Formats: sequence, structure tokens, C-alpha cells
Amino acid sequence: MITSEQRVSRLSAVGIALLGVALFVIPFLTSTTSLRQASQIIVSVLAVLGVNIATGYGGMISLGHGVFVGVGAFATGYYVSDLSLPWLVAIVLGAATAGVSGALVGLPALRIKGIHLALVTLGLAIVFRPLSKRFPSITGGVSGRSIEARFDAPGWWPGDGRMASSVYRYVFCVLVVLVALWATWNVVNSRFGRSMRALRDNDTAAAVYGVDLVAARVTTFALSAGLAGLCGALQVVLVPFVSQDKFPAQESLIIYASAVVGGLGTIWGSVLGVIARTVVGKVGSLAAGFDGLGPIGEFFSLLDEPAFVFGFGLILLTFLFPRGLAGIRRKDQPSQ
Amino acid sequence: MDYVLLLQRIFDALFNSAIYSSLALALVIIFRATGLLNFAQGEMATFTAYIAFVLLSGPQPRLTGGGLAGLVPGVPFSIPLAIIGAVVCGMAAGAATERALIRPLGGASDLALVNITIGLLLATNSLMAQWWGTGPRFFPSIFPTGAGQHFVILGARLRYSTVGVWAILLSVLVLLVLLLRHTRAGLAFRAVSISPSNAELVGVRVGPTLMYGWALASGFGALAACLSANSVLLEPSMMLRVLVYAFAAATLGGLDSPKGALVGGLIIGLSQTLIPAYVPFIGFELSVLPALLAMVVILLIRPAGLYGTKRIERV
Repeated sequence: MITSEQRVSRLSAVGIALLGVALFVIPFLTSTTSLRQASQIIVSVLAVLGVNIATGYGGMISLGHGVFVGVGAFATGYYVSDLSLPWLVAIVLGAATAGVSGALVGLPALRIKGIHLALVTLGLAIVFRPLSKRFPSITGGVSGRSIEARFDAPGWWPGDGRMASSVYRYVFCVLVVLVALWATWNVVNSRFGRSMRALRDNDTAAAVYGVDLVAARVTTFALSAGLAGLCGALQVVLVPFVSQDKFPAQESLIIYASAVVGGLGTIWGSVLGVIARTVVGKVGSLAAGFDGLGPIGEFFSLLDEPAFVFGFGLILLTFLFPRGLAGIRRKDQPSQ
Repeated sequence: MDYVLLLQRIFDALFNSAIYSSLALALVIIFRATGLLNFAQGEMATFTAYIAFVLLSGPQPRLTGGGLAGLVPGVPFSIPLAIIGAVVCGMAAGAATERALIRPLGGASDLALVNITIGLLLATNSLMAQWWGTGPRFFPSIFPTGAGQHFVILGARLRYSTVGVWAILLSVLVLLVLLLRHTRAGLAFRAVSISPSNAELVGVRVGPTLMYGWALASGFGALAACLSANSVLLEPSMMLRVLVYAFAAATLGGLDSPKGALVGGLIIGLSQTLIPAYVPFIGFELSVLPALLAMVVILLIRPAGLYGTKRIERV
């Protein structure tokens, strides 16, 4: 007899195999532009994973992770152009800067919980754009700034020209995302990961069992912000231009929505959330391209709007599958 | 220090104060009864402002987004009528939201409620962008706003629109108090706000009562949006910033205190104008920052705010 657990793991195996094939095939099929878009989609997994760590594992609702993506992007741009650091160092430092800013936000989260924390992080998401305009030397102010340094393929990389560099950036991003997913998997299944979940489910009980609440909360938030920051850093690798324009509050909310729709509390869920966002957007833009559909066409063009799809998806999934897309097949377990 | 300028700034701030107070009231009414912060309050209110806008303009396909033009009554409404129409639509939408999205969830977790309201926020926002475009639109003011339309008090100008918006807010408040104190539905609502389970035991129908509360709250939100759409310009995200101020006001006053919402709105509105004026770094656009910081500090130091009920947690 096949248990539900085995069925899920078999499904995951098929999914992982399909994803692997897709990731391998993509660079052979596309132009530099769509390869960049594919890379951007893959990179966005990290931001969603960041929300998942804070909200899904740590139980701290964060509606402001776009802020940490922004901090990571601005910081990386600053390190690589103003301080002329090598790319790899700049990326690591950029993610670390976002992590530190996350720890700072995590400090009030020690006392502010639940819905109030959601409120504060939403406020943060709204404040971020005007705030970043105040530091034009780093952020480029209203119009943004382009970063002179380019993340180009080194000499040993096969082929040359723009396409080779695009493939190089793509491979680099895919590898970083895979390593980050693997590392996160290890963290959430470690002793620290268990204390994180204990904190989410019952912080009093966790404290009784010896979990250091302050350290665990701040570390969780720093880790999750660091992942979002890494996403921002890789965005600069892909497009050497930073601007406050890319980080409206809606972006933070869409990242949050992707995490919830994909499924909180499983790493697989974050990948699913991004896939869902991509697939629905593609279907919408394809269908909206046809003329003469009348009101149906108008509906399809709404599908092209990630904000609408995820707003709607959030509501629908909360009723139908509270565990998100990743939890659809595990109905036998009680929802959290 | 230039006292006339200070007085002028205070007068200017009073208009925004009224807007923040009424949106904060909307948030407080719902929080008091259900313990839920309605993140979609601002977007729902903006939607009703667009309804008023459509009513004002009459049926023009360009404004109503193609398919909707047929639904609009033929004659363009006058401004007060359009606002009343928007408030009524807002109340109906609020009641419908409670019935369709909140009540079926029962007493679900914070996470589920946040998801629902954030989902509503995102969906409503992009729906408005789709139907009416993202560009700002001119929304006429219900009050005379021309160059000479003000009182002069001690050398500073107090605009008619500021006086008018406070007059509307206060008269609606009086109406609300009468409703809550002297009608059966109001009594039921107060009972449910204090304790839903006890109210249910003595025969109050909790569901419909909460629906009534949501309608009231959304009415306040709609009023705030319609009255402020002239000064902030009507666009899909116009209430997003206002929502931060309103949340700060509600937190400052105490999330479950209507009186607190009024006082909090007053203080936040004044600080929004006065802080940028005397602290150059903040500037007009960054005036959201002090509001956010105030919110964080209050939640850290005194989560009950000025007038809210202190919650005692037993561990």
C-alpha cells in the first residue's frame, strides 16, 4: 500500500526531475532577453523563500520583504561600483547587509506579534520608496542609477559575445539559488529549525524547553531578510541598474502572496509559488493577445496582472487549501 | 518663531487630521468587534471614490471600462449625491465582504485573516488600475476651494474645506453615537464588541451584527476617500499612504477605542505637517516615516495606546 507520505515524495521526485530538465534546456532555446527574464524568475524564488522562513517557519508575518530585496540590490550596487569590490564579495556583503537590516526589524518583532507585526512590516514596505529617494548617492534618487561594473563571463567560459555572458549569468544564478535552497533545507531541519517551528507554534512552551526566544527570533528574521537580499543582489547581477521604482509596496505584497499561495512551511512551496506566478502570467498575456474575446478577453488581461491573480489566489486558497499549493495533496493532515 | 506660520500650518494640518480620523475610525470599529485589522480598508474606500467619480461623470465608456457603462444611471449626479451613493455602495460592499469572506472562516488564525485582507487589497488595487488606469484623475471638491474661500483668524487662513470636512466628520460621529446608544442594533453591536460569546448567549445574532459593523466601518472609509480624493488626486494607490497614517492614528489612540481614533488622527495629522516643516531631512514625501516610527514605538512601549483596553496575557 502506498502511504500519502510516499505519494508526495514520488510526486516531488517527478517535479524535481521536470524542473531539472527545464533548467538545463532553457539556455539552449532562448534569446538573451528571455534568458534574462528566466533568470529573474528563478532568482525571485529566494525572496519568496525569505518570506517563507519568517512567516512559514518562524510564525512572524512579514508583508515587507520587498524592502530587503531592495536593500540587497542597493547595497550590492554600492559595493561593486563605489567601493569597486569584486562581484562575489559584493553579492555576499549585499545579502549580509540585508540580513543586518532584517535583524534590526526583527528586534521590535520580539514584542510586536501577529497582526501588529503584519501592520508594521506593511508600513515599512510603504515607507521604503520615499526613504530610498533620500539617499541619492547610493540609490540614484528618483530616477535610479546604473551600475558601471558588468558581471561578464570570464576567459575560460566557452563561447563569447552577449549570449555567452547571458548563459554565464543564468548558470551562476541557478547555482546560487540551488545552493541557497539546499542550505535552507538543512537549516530548517537542524536543531535551530526545530526551535524556529517551536517558536511559531507556542513560544511559551518553546521557552520552557530552552529555546532562547530573542536569539531565535532575530536570527530567523536576519536569515529570511538575507535570502531576500541575495535575491536583490542577483537582480543587480542580471540587470546592472538599481532604482526605487522597482520596490513599490505592492511588490512586497506579491512576494508575500507567492509564499502563501505556494505553501508556507515547506521549501518546495516557495518554488511552486513562483512557478504559479509565472504560469498564470503567461496564460494571461497569451490569452489577452487575442482580439474579439470581449469581456472574456478583459478577464484574461487581468490574469496578466500578478497583483490581481495573487490577491484572488490568496483568498481562494485560504478557503480551499490553507496549506497552499504544496499542501493540496496532504489533506489528511490538519492545517496549521 | 513665526507664530502666524505655525498657526497656518496647524490649520492646514486639520484637513488631513479629519481624513485620518475617519479612516482610523473605520479600522477601529472592525478591530473592536473582530480583532481583525482590515488591510484592505484603504483600497475598498478608493474603490468607492471611483464609484463617486463615475456617478459624477455620467456614462462615459472611457471612464467606466467598457462593459460597466451600461450600469451607470444616465444623468450625472451632483457632488453630495455622488458621495452619498458611494458611501451606500461602500457599506454594501463592506457587509458583503463580512458575509462572504470573513464569516465563513469562523475564528480562524491571524494568518488566514491577514491573507484574506491582503488578497482583497491586491485584487481591488489591480482591478481599479485595469478599469480606470493608473494615472491620477481630478476629483471635484464638495466645498468651495477657490483662492478667497477661507476665514482669516489671527492672520492665518482657515479654509472652508477644512471647516466643512470637520463639520461632516463630527455630524456623522454624532449620528454614529446616537445609532450605537439608542437603537437595538447599536446595543447588539456594543455587546458583540465587548464579548461575542456572551452576546450570543443572551440571544444576539452575532453574524448579522458584525455585518452591520463592517457596513458602518466601510461607510466611514468611503467618506474619507471621497473627501480626500480632491486633495490627493484620485488614483488606485491613493489610500495606501493614507492607510499608514490611519493605522498610526488608530494605534496611537488605542486600536479598540473610537475616541482614540479621533484623537490619534488629530495628532498624526498635525505631526505629518509640522514635523516636515521643522525637520528638513524628512521633507513632505518622507512624512510617512515619523508616523511609522510612532506606530512602532507605541506598539513596543504601550500597545494599548492612549485610550485602548490593556490586554493581560496569562502564561
